[in-house]
Amino acid sequence: MKKFNSLLIKIMRITFLQIILTLSLCSHLLAKETYAQERLEQKVTLQEKNISIAEALKKIEKKYDVDFVYSPQIVNVSKKVDIISDRQKLADVLTKLLEPLGLTYETKDDVIAIISMHSNISEKYEKIIITGKVTDEETGEPLPGTSVKVKGSNKGTFTNDKGIYTIEVQDLHTILVFSYVGYEEQEHAVENGRIVNIALKQLQGILKEVKIVSIGYGYQQKKNVTGSVASANLESFRDAPNTNLAQNLQGTVPGLNVGPVTVTGSTPSITIRGRNTISGNQNVLIILDGIQYNNSLSALNPDDIASIDILKDASSTAVYGAQAANGVILITSRKGTNGSKPRINFSTSYATQTPSGNIHPMEKDEYLQHVRDLYYTKAYLAPTYTQPDPSFNIALYVDASQRDASNNLVTTDFNWWKAGTKIGFINDNQLSISGGGDKFNYLISGAYTNQAGYIINDLFKRKSLRSNVEVQPLDFLKIGVQAFGSFVNLDGAEPTLADLMQQAPLNSPYNADGTLKPQPFNTTGTNPFLTYDTKDYERHMYLFANVYSQVNFPFLKGLSYRVNYGNNYRTDRHYNANQYGAGLTGSAYKRDEQYYDYTIDNILSFSRIFKKHSISATLVYGAVQRQDEATQATANGFSRLTLGYNDLSQGTNQFTTSSAYSEALNYQMARLNYTFSGRYLATFTVRRDGYSAFAENNKYAVFPSASFGWIFSDEKFGKLPWLDYGKFRVGYGVSGNQTTRYYSLDQVTTQQAYVFGDGGTTVNGQYVGTLANPNLKWERTFELNAGLDFTVLNGRLNGSIDYYNRHTKDLLFQVQIPNLTGYSSINTNVGEISNKGLEVSLTSKNIKTKNFEWSTTVGFSRNVNKVISLLGTGDLISSNLFIGQSLGAVYNYHLDGIYQIGETPPSGFYTGNLRILDINGDGKRTTDDRTILGSTDPAYRFSILNTLHYKKFSLTIFINSIQGGANGYLGDNTQTTRLDDNNIRWNRISGVDFWTPLNPNGRYPMFTNAPTISPSQYFNRSFVRLQDVTLSYRIDNKQTKRLGFKNFSVYASGKNLYTWTKWQGWDPETSSGGLSINGRPLLTGYSIGLNVTL
Amino acid sequence: MKKKYILIILIIVTGLFSCKKNFLDETPLDFLSGDNAYITYSDFTTAVNDMYRVTRAEFYTKDENYPFDYMYGCDIVYDGQPYVGRHTPMASAYSPAGSQNIPGSHWNAFYKIISEANAIIDRSANSTLTDAQKKLVAAQAKFFRAMSYRSLSYLFGGVPLVVHEVTGPKTDFTRATKEEVLAQCIDDLKFAVANLPSIEMVTDGQVNSQAAGHLLSEVYLAAGEFQNAADAATKVISDPNVKLMTARFGSKSSVATGNVYWDLFQPGNQNRKSGNLEGLWVIQFETDVPGGASVTTGQAGNYLLERHVGPNVSLITKPTPNPFLWPVDDLSGGRGVGWAISTKHFSDEIWTSDFNNDIRNANINFVRNFTSNNPASPLYGTIISTQNPPSGITVPSRQLYAYEGKATTPGGHPAALIQNASTGLLKSSAGGTYLDQYMFRLAETYFIRAEAYLGLNNKTAAAADINVVRVRSKANPIASTDINIDYILDERLRELGYEEKRRLTLMRLGLWYDRVKRFNPYYSDALPLYNVWPIPQAEIERNNTGTLAQNPGY
Repeated sequence: MKKFNSLLIKIMRITFLQIILTLSLCSHLLAKETYAQERLEQKVTLQEKNISIAEALKKIEKKYDVDFVYSPQIVNVSKKVDIISDRQKLADVLTKLLEPLGLTYETKDDVIAIISMHSNISEKYEKIIITGKVTDEETGEPLPGTSVKVKGSNKGTFTNDKGIYTIEVQDLHTILVFSYVGYEEQEHAVENGRIVNIALKQLQGILKEVKIVSIGYGYQQKKNVTGSVASANLESFRDAPNTNLAQNLQGTVPGLNVGPVTVTGSTPSITIRGRNTISGNQNVLIILDGIQYNNSLSALNPDDIASIDILKDASSTAVYGAQAANGVILITSRKGTNGSKPRINFSTSYATQTPSGNIHPMEKDEYLQHVRDLYYTKAYLAPTYTQPDPSFNIALYVDASQRDASNNLVTTDFNWWKAGTKIGFINDNQLSISGGGDKFNYLISGAYTNQAGYIINDLFKRKSLRSNVEVQPLDFLKIGVQAFGSFVNLDGAEPTLADLMQQAPLNSPYNADGTLKPQPFNTTGTNPFLTYDTKDYERHMYLFANVYSQVNFPFLKGLSYRVNYGNNYRTDRHYNANQYGAGLTGSAYKRDEQYYDYTIDNILSFSRIFKKHSISATLVYGAVQRQDEATQATANGFSRLTLGYNDLSQGTNQFTTSSAYSEALNYQMARLNYTFSGRYLATFTVRRDGYSAFAENNKYAVFPSASFGWIFSDEKFGKLPWLDYGKFRVGYGVSGNQTTRYYSLDQVTTQQAYVFGDGGTTVNGQYVGTLANPNLKWERTFELNAGLDFTVLNGRLNGSIDYYNRHTKDLLFQVQIPNLTGYSSINTNVGEISNKGLEVSLTSKNIKTKNFEWSTTVGFSRNVNKVISLLGTGDLISSNLFIGQSLGAVYNYHLDGIYQIGETPPSGFYTGNLRILDINGDGKRTTDDRTILGSTDPAYRFSILNTLHYKKFSLTIFINSIQGGANGYLGDNTQTTRLDDNNIRWNRISGVDFWTPLNPNGRYPMFTNAPTISPSQYFNRSFVRLQDVTLSYRIDNKQTKRLGFKNFSVYASGKNLYTWTKWQGWDPETSSGGLSINGRPLLTGYSIGLNVTL
Repeated sequence: MKKKYILIILIIVTGLFSCKKNFLDETPLDFLSGDNAYITYSDFTTAVNDMYRVTRAEFYTKDENYPFDYMYGCDIVYDGQPYVGRHTPMASAYSPAGSQNIPGSHWNAFYKIISEANAIIDRSANSTLTDAQKKLVAAQAKFFRAMSYRSLSYLFGGVPLVVHEVTGPKTDFTRATKEEVLAQCIDDLKFAVANLPSIEMVTDGQVNSQAAGHLLSEVYLAAGEFQNAADAATKVISDPNVKLMTARFGSKSSVATGNVYWDLFQPGNQNRKSGNLEGLWVIQFETDVPGGASVTTGQAGNYLLERHVGPNVSLITKPTPNPFLWPVDDLSGGRGVGWAISTKHFSDEIWTSDFNNDIRNANINFVRNFTSNNPASPLYGTIISTQNPPSGITVPSRQLYAYEGKATTPGGHPAALIQNASTGLLKSSAGGTYLDQYMFRLAETYFIRAEAYLGLNNKTAAAADINVVRVRSKANPIASTDINIDYILDERLRELGYEEKRRLTLMRLGLWYDRVKRFNPYYSDALPLYNVWPIPQAEIERNNTGTLAQNPGY
């Protein structure tokens, strides 16, 4: 009850804080309404003679923060005028200025349009200029690039960067059609208004899926992209209890494979398409705001991220050359919008964290039965060993620590697992303010995330601050900074999990006096709480700043130059003092690591439309340098540890180690995007990469690519009633996977080796640890990608399909060589593997009525991985590589149950061992009986996202699945127990289906004698997971609007709610997810949250 | 307008920077590479030092099981707790593809030492060292290389001969004959004998001409060159700088219950510094000093002999309460866990003739009388003997058996391991043997020469050599007519015990199966084919462009 109370107090405290914050923000923002009217009331002081009307208006715009819209067909821009005004109202100044020219103005919302006084005449001349601003209905932010078309004609225009358009129409009965990708199309009759302001509503479900996407060193409209580029659906998972950005991506983009996490705040594994490499780097390249990001994704506040784009095929990743073969993730942080009012967003949520499965160690009765089972030849009667032997006294067979001086079992019954775990939580709070003026925009955000996992002391706290600011001091110059600081606190050490699992219920962690018992079994196995009961300080600080400036050259339209100077800095500090460490003599250490990298990119781009030709060219010249250094000081043998790690000099034995590295890259890239007639698209890139870790003979590499697109729906024959948009694209490119630093060198390992003579001093020893390979080079991935993007049935169904065929050559490979060389492997380039795959993403708007909407997005991906060639010497069994098979091939024994009592197993095998099938029929069970059983690779993955809206309610349900098919997605779940001291004393996971004479069909072997061959047992890991469910309710009645809220929503969500699988253990998808004592539960989270926008 | 352009140019100039040509050079910051690590004499000395480390690891400290493969599965001890790491069942322990990978572990370790030696030999040839330095460095490297090939050939028979540093991915090795391997060892050792300094010139623990001579003599035996073996051994035995210790010496020479054999195994008494002239090559341990291997902060790193051979008196369930506390810093076996139970042959049969007079069988050296150390027991202070145990205590069993006292340091465990000074209770992290260890000792040189004389059919000379050692231990001399290989092997058990790499001796002689069958009934699954180990299956698979023939029967 006490525990519960403290939790309640905590929740109340958090809630109270949030209310105060919310209220203080409300009062701040109550003022609003009639923006343009206020501007017209401004007092203007200006003295200009004989300047053009255009310049005059520009000066007013600049000085008094207003936007004018006018058409040059109406306003003779070069007409010279005089303005003399001393503290007169802007309205009066405008009248005075415009009237003599036969012009007047109109305002609507925040747009001031300059129009002809004589509208009737205009009508006669069939020249009506309509202007206005297009904004997002929800955020009120302008939507640049919105298409404005006259219905029934080809005439159209786009909004400018402030969301403003002007269009000439024939008559006042014209209907304008406003469309913007990701938004609902809207039609509006011109009628009497000369100003038509439109607020577009975002499409639910596909959201920003088709929009502007980042393609590396620039952006492109999604509809013109020729490579395989996907954008993550961040919106549907914003409310899920995720603390790491990458968790939002799990299962949501076909071809992007994100694993689950079981440790608080940690980053899951991320791969794109199949595995390209045998022993090279498998990490995806991450680009944050244009800068290579090598720090942890856990440093990023998910709420700060505006969009994530994924470059999948080589034709799109080639812009990143030698580092891009594993795919590229481009992360763009949010920013403010020029000319928008401050938008304040506050959100908070609380989630619980409980294990998704029910795995725990055995309790007392089951534990003792397991001891009897191990001793079945004594505890049961021969010959069948199914009848208990009444003379068996279990107290004489358990571990010595579990019986008292008179040989009775102790009465202790302690639940270690319960003591080492508790229900965790996530508390997340976000506050941001964004907006902008004419010449600047800003976003400032702060967040605090506090997570506790299921294992005690699995804690994660993150404070993060971000500031993205951009200013335009001169017309042609923009300068900006994107910066964040993230402060992660991982204080506290967990109990050691395997020990926690292995302690027996008959042993207690405590001595009679309440102190911890260091070794409960009196063996070297330690009490798991020894690591927990320590002073542990672990902090990580991440600083990132990208300072950029962009020049739009005034002398050549479309030419611009941008320089990015990105800086990443990280410090890792881990200090620990453990009174039980180093064999109970006490140990302490301090570890400090500092990492720094910088990126300088010079980007020259030119983009221009010449009639039907649209050209966009980009040149990049850049360099990256990374530096790291670490120092660790350790001491042990403390007579007292009062000062902990802060005075290591008190330790008897002191050790120090240090390390450092540095690496550099230097590269050039050129890209040309060409569009003809708006529907024939082509992209060509070439990149040259130099990298310090490339071996001496191969310092530079060149990576070319080309891709083409064809928007066939714009062709005459493509004008079909059911086809809204269709694009076919094909690309071919080369990208690389660079070697790890120092891979090509013969590294000499040096260590403290020996002491000659009693009382002598330490001497160092050295040996060549790795073989040099001066010809080592990058891997090259050649990829063909063909894709189809489409929208059909009036927007009811859209999707994309991608097929790829990639071949990776010169594989970086630690080829296993005979140990008699003195080395177990050498780093080399060899052979070829292929990955072929299909990715499908479909979104269907199933139902759309006034109050109810239902859409479904289905993702599907399949990848087939195959080794094409190796050293030229056939299969490499010792490296588990087989030509024609996948890298994940499982080469093992066919098993057929377990040798039973009464059976005579073949020589080298004993009762309770696994029965190996004699595949080659030679009558023996040898390594020759191994065969390919299948693969650890999935056969396919799929996900289904359902989004439902009913009035103000929305519900998203996300299902994620990985399937193995007949013999794919296998996992090793080998479980063995045998009669020996440790297996008798150690506890293990409850309910493991071990063979015993009473359980002859048991799945896992149990024996006294170990077999000659101990095969691994593989099982299918296929699963379907109900991964995310979110229900939210958006309150926007007039009451809240009046209070100044733009948005007020509450939500409840659940994560990892249920998993359907035949796999036994923690979870089919997590590492050590079998019945492993080192496993960790996948956590289920239930959260409630609140989101307020002012 | 002009200002604009100046500004633009400024921005571009500051943004652009030209990379220097060496921008992409790769210079490791925290490790040396082949380019710069083998140049000076000090570089080569450092490389030589490492061979001591890996050799010590292979025979003593690698982990809690592999170093004891030289003892388990032979005629000296058997498994208190069946486990593949303790060679039960043998089919699994000696399987070419067994999960414990016992043969493979030693194969890899020896070839690693060979590769370190080859790197030193090859690279010193082209270095700036003086000729004298080159010879000294090569002599040390060749000693370790020969020691490794000798061990490999005893364990596996003929193995691939790699005598130059491998610098590329070679996968086409073939096996040399055992004779070729031994010939290589002899070559290397002749060089080592000629070029290594004499024992009195080197620092304690370093290899020397006498140690090389001892090993050369043994390898000659393996090659069947008995006269050469006798000559090489004679050269060592007749060296005035070494001698069998016959009088009390060293740190505990005043302990009345001790004797000279006991003195050999007391802390600090192995090196020449203590006056010990019998040790030819002593493996060095230094507690809690980096590079010293022994630590008090845990078991890993230590030579865990005490853990293996000490009885586990905590397992006694009758009488109650247990007459013994455990683990205690006394002669009850320290923190033994009763894994290596002495065979009847080792603990009884070999001692029958001189049970009371052979000082090697004195209780302080071969412990049979255990004094109850639990004050709560009615038997407190009384002696429980393995020769006449009270009812309830099974002898031999993990609970109690006779064992050699040199495996432990009664009353001499490092202070940091004492949990309770008044009871002598040790911490659970005890179990190491905190003593320097003899790799080669002069007493063994006599046995090698005796074996050579036996091979030359000179039993008189053989008996004379055996008797030199027996006389020192106050055992009755053996008549030359009683000399045979079994007697020499038994004498080795008496004199060397746990100290000997028993498996190497038995496999060198091809008598492994014979001795196990006769003297260690526990290993009922021993097969003649185990007289040599299999070539590791993984190694055959890795060597995929050549053929490593498997030993017959596997």
